Amino acid sequence: MSALKRVQQWATFARIWHVYDAAWQNPFHSAKLLKKYLMGLHKPIYHPLNDCGDHVIVINTGDIALPEDEWKKRAYFHHTGYPGGASWTVAWELHDKDPTMILKKAVYSSMDGNLQRRYTMERLHLFPDGKVPADLMKNVSNQIQQIRPVPKRLDHYSEQERKEFPKLIDYPKDYILR
Amino acid sequence: MSFLKLLTLWERCPTTKIGYPTRSLYLSSKLQLKQIEEVITDNTVTISAKILPSEREPHLLKNANPVVCPVCASGLDIKHTDVLILSQFVRSDGCMLPRRITGLCRKQQKRMSALVTMAHKAGLMPNLNPPNSNKDPKKRHHWKKFNKYFDESTIKT
Ligand SMILES: [Zn+2]
Repeated sequence: MSALKRVQQWATFARIWHVYDAAWQNPFHSAKLLKKYLMGLHKPIYHPLNDCGDHVIVINTGDIALPEDEWKKRAYFHHTGYPGGASWTVAWELHDKDPTMILKKAVYSSMDGNLQRRYTMERLHLFPDGKVPADLMKNVSNQIQQIRPVPKRLDHYSEQERKEFPKLIDYPKDYILR
Repeated sequence: MSFLKLLTLWERCPTTKIGYPTRSLYLSSKLQLKQIEEVITDNTVTISAKILPSEREPHLLKNANPVVCPVCASGLDIKHTDVLILSQFVRSDGCMLPRRITGLCRKQQKRMSALVTMAHKAGLMPNLNPPNSNKDPKKRHHWKKFNKYFDESTIKT
């Protein structure tokens, strides 16, 4: 085997580490995207019996965004197994308790219900903020592009940017500004 | 002197001049198109009003088609995240300006006020809020403190 072929072999079967910034991203749309990388669906050598999934580090899971009023409408069900053990937790309450749980459940339920997904989930590393251990971060060689553009708050623009932005309307001459 | 004062008071009164926004007492305001000055010398008080040039004047987009309103003429698909545009239609407390001041058509006025509401709910304009409000969107209560986004196609016009 030539040196080139050997390197190609390593590159094909090596596990790649990806990083994904979940700030202002819908967790359920992100889950569909991350699932492909975790299972290795984006690789031409993919086969269900071929263990070729990659690692994904997700940062800023505390800053995920849900549409409109879904924070108080989406409920998570749990049953302890005992009579009267059912409980429904609303998304914002779950996110208060654990800021990584919504994304974790979203990725888990986006995959098929076989036992392989337990091992696939081991390759997903979730962090509520940007603080990632250095020994994980040094493996990263790719960034997954975000689905939604991250909006910029008005107070994060400088005074000059706000002043010099093209204006659609002007005040009437006798308008008293307040 | 007293006549001038009366004149300003009469002008301030919302019932005598239709089209004026009601104005509570301001001792000083650095930004106003119509500035009211008080000069006190010995025992005479001079109150004068002068019209200042608008800060927006040099950056105003020229309306290519003056028949329609500025938003329709611009042909922009404005989203609720375009806070630099939406902040032009609100007062400093985040309240939507009325149609007689914005000069938009009925449809766009309704759309813009819906977009302003969305931007406020998403916490994208936290500096345009009433002075007693909580400026940091992350300090809101319960579900309101988390990031949310909106679909503009849900606006009924
Ligand atoms: Zn119009």
